[in-house]
Amino acid sequence: MDMEFKKLCSIIVDVLGVEESEITPDTTFVDDLGADSLDVAQIIMGIEEEFDVTVDTEVASNVTTVGQALELIKNATEE
Amino acid sequence: MGKKYVRVAVDAMGGDLAPAEPVKGAVQALERRNSLHITLVGKEEVIREELSKYKYPEDRLEILDAREVIEMAEPPVNAIRQKKDSSIVKGLRLVKDGSCDAFVTAGSSGATLAGGQLLVGRIRGIERPPLAPIMPTAKGPVLLVDCGANMDARASQLVQFAQMGSIYMRNMAGIENPRVALVNVGAEEEKGNALVKEVYPLLKECEGINFVGNIEARDIPAGEADVVVCDAFVGNVILKLYEGLASMLLHKIKDALMSTLRSKIGALMIKPALKGLLKEFDITSYGGAPMLGLRGLVVKTHGNSEAVEICNAIEQCILFKKKNINGQFIESMGLGRKEEPKEAL
Repeated sequence: MDMEFKKLCSIIVDVLGVEESEITPDTTFVDDLGADSLDVAQIIMGIEEEFDVTVDTEVASNVTTVGQALELIKNATEE
Repeated sequence: MGKKYVRVAVDAMGGDLAPAEPVKGAVQALERRNSLHITLVGKEEVIREELSKYKYPEDRLEILDAREVIEMAEPPVNAIRQKKDSSIVKGLRLVKDGSCDAFVTAGSSGATLAGGQLLVGRIRGIERPPLAPIMPTAKGPVLLVDCGANMDARASQLVQFAQMGSIYMRNMAGIENPRVALVNVGAEEEKGNALVKEVYPLLKECEGINFVGNIEARDIPAGEADVVVCDAFVGNVILKLYEGLASMLLHKIKDALMSTLRSKIGALMIKPALKGLLKEFDITSYGGAPMLGLRGLVVKTHGNSEAVEICNAIEQCILFKKKNINGQFIESMGLGRKEEPKEAL
């Protein structure tokens, strides 16, 4: 498991109170983890803080799965 | 060791009457309470100009410069994410990092609600933090939970609202065994929509609250409950109807009293009694609406708050801290990790 995924899982667990074992790249925030839009925004803000990156609002609004969030982290940290 | 203060951040730029009234309210609170430290958040030069009108204990007041202001019409989540140098974001961050125990604002409700959850964060185990204003009734204050934070609440969330509301009213309003009621379209258990039918038995079985059953909206002003539980959609409709109806009736009564010479003489005769009555309905002494279940306290006051309401909201923060309300939430509701919340606020 790479470091980014581990850190992302930690943010998700903290915000949603779910078990880490429930989280895979295919997991959807809303349908699988019961998140709402505010939760997703909180996770995005957690990503910004943890990885010291800025996520574009429009990009953030299209994130629906853990894998997409991970991709977003990788793209942002590579820039 | 320095003196232990209750530290409250106040949004100096929030509301229709900012910065004058929030600054004045903060100074009044400092005069009243020696154990209080205030951080005024907003444009430093504007705050300094306001402060120049008053004498205040300089060692207990500081300014945190914030160059942006979140306007009422801005989309809340975007505003919180983008306006990092705004008074609301900076004030909420003071609570998040533990520099302050509480944050008081008369600014954007949406941004405050979103920011409370996004920046300050929930106590672990709290599903959603509700906004809970106090309203006047014929028998005293009633707490309306929720009136703005969770439009599509789940049954388990409403149960938490009831628990938190009960603890809040016991401690903050001094009601020993607060009557908790569920807003419904009838008193009978089998009435209502899917949500309230699911919540009713859960509240009935819930330990630690005095659940008195369903309440119809018309019985709220009569004071038939001390804590009224509903989702934010219903709560907001109740609150706005309450305010609108009261305002309309008062205007109509005033118009009628001023309509003829005879009624004007009558008005003069009943003026003292009317003033006393209106004072009974003044709930500004309870401060603002708290957002319950966060890792610190966030209080939203009316957009047109005057100094007295800001001052009372600051006092509300002091009492909230002294009564260790969040600690009581954690203990009574079996929430949280041992280390939360900081200073057990």
